[in-house]
This record gives sequence, C-alpha cells and structure tokens, in this order.
Amino acid sequence: MPLDAPNTGHVVYDPRGIVEATAIPLGKRVADLNGLRLGILSNKKWNGNNLLRKTRAILEDEIDFAAVNFYEKESFSKNADPGLLGEIIADNDIVLTAIGD
Amino acid sequence: MHDAVSLEGQDRATAIIVTTEFLHEAEVQRDALGMAELEPVVITHPLSTLSDEEIGHRAAEAAEQAKKIWLGKA
Amino acid sequence: MARQKTVESRPVESVVSDGVDLVEWYYEKGFSDGFPVAPPTPEKIAATVDALGGDGDYVEARVPPRWGSLTREVLAINMVMAGCKPDYGPVVRAAMLALCSPAFNLHGVQATTHMASPLLVVNGPIRKKLEINAGHNVFGSGNRANATIGRAIRMILLNVGGGWPGDLDKSTLGSPAKYTYCIAENEELGYLAPYHVEKGFTEDDSTVFVMPAEPPHSVTNHVADDPEGILDSIVSAMSTIAHNNAVSAGHCAVVIGPEHAAVMAKYQWTRHDIKNYLWYQATNTFGEVAFQHRYGKVYNRSLPKWYKRDVDARIPVVPSAEHIHLFCAGGEAGRFSAFIPGWGHMASPVLRELDGKAPAGGGMVCEDGTCYL
Repeated sequence: MPLDAPNTGHVVYDPRGIVEATAIPLGKRVADLNGLRLGILSNKKWNGNNLLRKTRAILEDEIDFAAVNFYEKESFSKNADPGLLGEIIADNDIVLTAIGD
Repeated sequence: MHDAVSLEGQDRATAIIVTTEFLHEAEVQRDALGMAELEPVVITHPLSTLSDEEIGHRAAEAAEQAKKIWLGKA
Repeated sequence: MARQKTVESRPVESVVSDGVDLVEWYYEKGFSDGFPVAPPTPEKIAATVDALGGDGDYVEARVPPRWGSLTREVLAINMVMAGCKPDYGPVVRAAMLALCSPAFNLHGVQATTHMASPLLVVNGPIRKKLEINAGHNVFGSGNRANATIGRAIRMILLNVGGGWPGDLDKSTLGSPAKYTYCIAENEELGYLAPYHVEKGFTEDDSTVFVMPAEPPHSVTNHVADDPEGILDSIVSAMSTIAHNNAVSAGHCAVVIGPEHAAVMAKYQWTRHDIKNYLWYQATNTFGEVAFQHRYGKVYNRSLPKWYKRDVDARIPVVPSAEHIHLFCAGGEAGRFSAFIPGWGHMASPVLRELDGKAPAGGGMVCEDGTCYL
C-alpha cells in the first residue's frame, strides 16, 4: 500500500502477488425443477453421502425428477476426473454436490 | 468449487454444499476462478461428527437452499 | 477472453518514511509468519531475481488456495524476507513448482484440518553447494539453508497462497513444521543408494522431493544389531491408528539414522528390502481402524477397495512398499530413526529435478518437469 513518503524513505514490498481471474458467467438457471435429471456428486467425506441421500429424499418428496443419478469423486480433496464431469454433464440437467466440511 | 465452476460453465446449475466453517474458502475459490456469482449452499458446521438425526436437519437446510440456487432465487 | 486483474491490484513496492521500523511494518501489514522478517531491499531482490534467471514479472506458478501469482519478483521478496541467500533461488523455485503440480494437491494441503505441511528433501550436488544440512539435528535449527529455504516456502504459502491460520488454513493444531520443514539426504555415508538415484536420476542431478507430512515421530532402538530388530521398531511406530495413513492410506516417509542405516548396509539390505519389510509388517486390524464399529458400521471409502473389511483382517498402513519414501539422514551418533506419516490418499508426493529435467532412468510419469510418485 502506498504511504506518505517524505524524504528518501525506505522501499517496502508487498509479498502477496496479485490474483488474476478471467470472469466466467454463471450457467443458466432453470424455471421448473419437475421433469429434470438431477446429478448428485459425492466427495466421499465422512457423512457426506448420508447428507446427500437425505437431501435427495427431501427434494424427491416435493419434486418429480425425471432421473436421479449418483456419482462419487475419486477423492474428497481433488477435482473430479474430467471424464466423470463429462458424464455428469451429459446425463443431468442440475447438480447437487458436497464439499467443505 | 472447481467442479461446480466446470459444471456451471456447461449450463448445469450446481448447488454445492459447504459448512459455515468453509464458506470463506469457497468464496475465495469461486472469485479466483472467475465465477463471482456462484453461491454455495451453506449448512451449519460440523458435519462429520453428527448423528443420523442431526444430519437430517442439515439436509433440510440444504434442500431449501439448493432449490433456490437452481431456480436463480438465491 | 482477456485476463482481468481483480481489485487486489496494487503496487508491489512503495515507500515509507525513514523513521519507520521496517521489522514492525511487515508485522503490522500481516506479512510475517510470526518471526521477524528481514526487510527486503532493492539490491537483495535484484540479486535473487538474477539467480532465478531475471525477468521479475515472469509468473512461475499460481499458489492455492488464494491463487496468487508467484512472479520471480514476488518469489524473491518472500525469499529475502525469510533470510535466504540468492543462491537458494533454484531450490525454492523447484520446490514451489513441485508443490503447485496438480498431483500434489497443494490446495487440499493448505486448507485441511490435519496438521500436514510440505516436507522438502533435497538430493544431489546442490546440497553441498548451498550447505544444506543432512547431518546432526537435520530436522532442527542452526543451519541457514535448512531454516530459510523451508521458511521461504512457508511464507509463500502464507502470503501468495493465502494459507493463513484460521482463515483458509483450517489446521486444527498446526505444527512446528509449518515454520520450516527442509532437510537434505545424507548421501555421502553410502549406506543406501540416494533417494533420487532410486527414482531414476543420476548422482549428479539435484532434485527436490515434497510430500505433505506430519512432523517426524522419533523411533529409538539402542538394542538391535540386525535389520529386522531395528525395522521392527519403525514398524511399531507405523502400526497405530492415530496417524492419517491408517485411516486415509496414501504415502509416508521413513528417515533412517546413520547408525541404523549402517546395520542395514552391513547385512546388505537394500532400499527394496527395507521398504518391503516395513510395508509387509506395518499393519493394523480393520477392526481397530473402524473402532470396532462402536459408532456405526464403518466401511471407510478412503482406504483401498481391496483392504479386507473384516474386523480381524490385518490391513497395511500404506498400500504398497512404493508408498514408503526412504531417506538416510541425521548425525552419525545416536541410534534413532524417524517415521513421518503423510496426509493420505488425497495427495501424492512429487519429485523434481531443479531445472525440470526428466530422469535418465525413466520409470516415472513426469509432467512439466515434475514427476509423480
């Protein structure tokens, strides 16, 4: 951060580096959940599957999904395999996933 | 968040569940990845130590928010 | 689409008045790891950028979870703050490139509630050139290279990566290894082939090995005079449900102290023999790992499918002998070794030659100069 700089002064440095990001728009929203294919992606964390199962059950009480498809990542801490993401994209309209705990 | 950004990038509206303790990280990630409008589903921390009944309560929290995110009402 | 800078855009350098206490200034800005930093000067930064090949704006990596851009200038700033000499630059850079490879999963390591911190082990001629300690007190204090190379890495993970405790770094307990965790292997004793040679590099290559790791667990054995006896003590340290490998598989490291390594060499036990003995003998029962199903039926998806889920079945602490990374290091007095648990299957250790050269002996998948283990 620039500060008042009388005299010669000392040079000081910011060690953080900048964060650069290319703006990506959010995907399209849906108008109605009935008749859609829901993909559920679990990260296999403790209790994560249980949470997703129960959330699914609550949603299915109110919403008439065309299909509900369940997937698991290789590891809770890594990004999903591109092949798995491709499969999810091909076979689903909306997605529910669990990560941080 | 990387997975969610990839899915959203292909027009698959995605509801990502995080606990309150990890919300800040999720926001930093989505900003660094460029998708600042991506809102997560936030449930009370923790999850891993909860009983089956308590998980049920978290699921109720999650379901309500997920619907809003998919419909664009978050 | 053109890349846009965020509103974090700010000058890397600015000027404060002569009367400002620079050590306190860096503390007040939140740029310190808790210890006083060495305030960088233009001359020291220029010398370090030179040692990195010049071009201060060149982006070496982006560091998660904040994804800050690690330019050579920013790398140099953190190195100087940590107390590094410019010559340490190639080692710090190679370590950062290794850490930022996808296989290492630095994002996960930075954010985890576990205490894992990257362990750096240096092999090859660069150890002597930079006087990196491989002998007495190898994991301890007193050596500038060990202390400041490890510290520079941690400062980058804090400042550029944003891994601040309680914020993006969720580690429950942390550990002293989060200040610095850098050693060299003691290759000169010759009791074991050097680690990087085992992996296909030549003795003249200099490499960095990085693995997310718990602090070392001391293994004492002042009695056994044969390999099995000594290794049984290391097996004992490994065969517990307390560390992350037990519940999450993945990789670990073992550091054999020179007095113990001399016994291995006397009986002509090779790296292959040692790693396989440790892997085969270091087990828990599945029942122990599952808490005897006291809290509900446990399957544990973090463990390989092929581990038997019977309560009496013995399961290995790590999935194979190749998941044990073996080094000889430490002083020549004292019958101690160390077991270093890893973080789990969520990350892989990686190995990188300083300039990203592939190993002459092949045998590993390498991407952008970093080899997966």
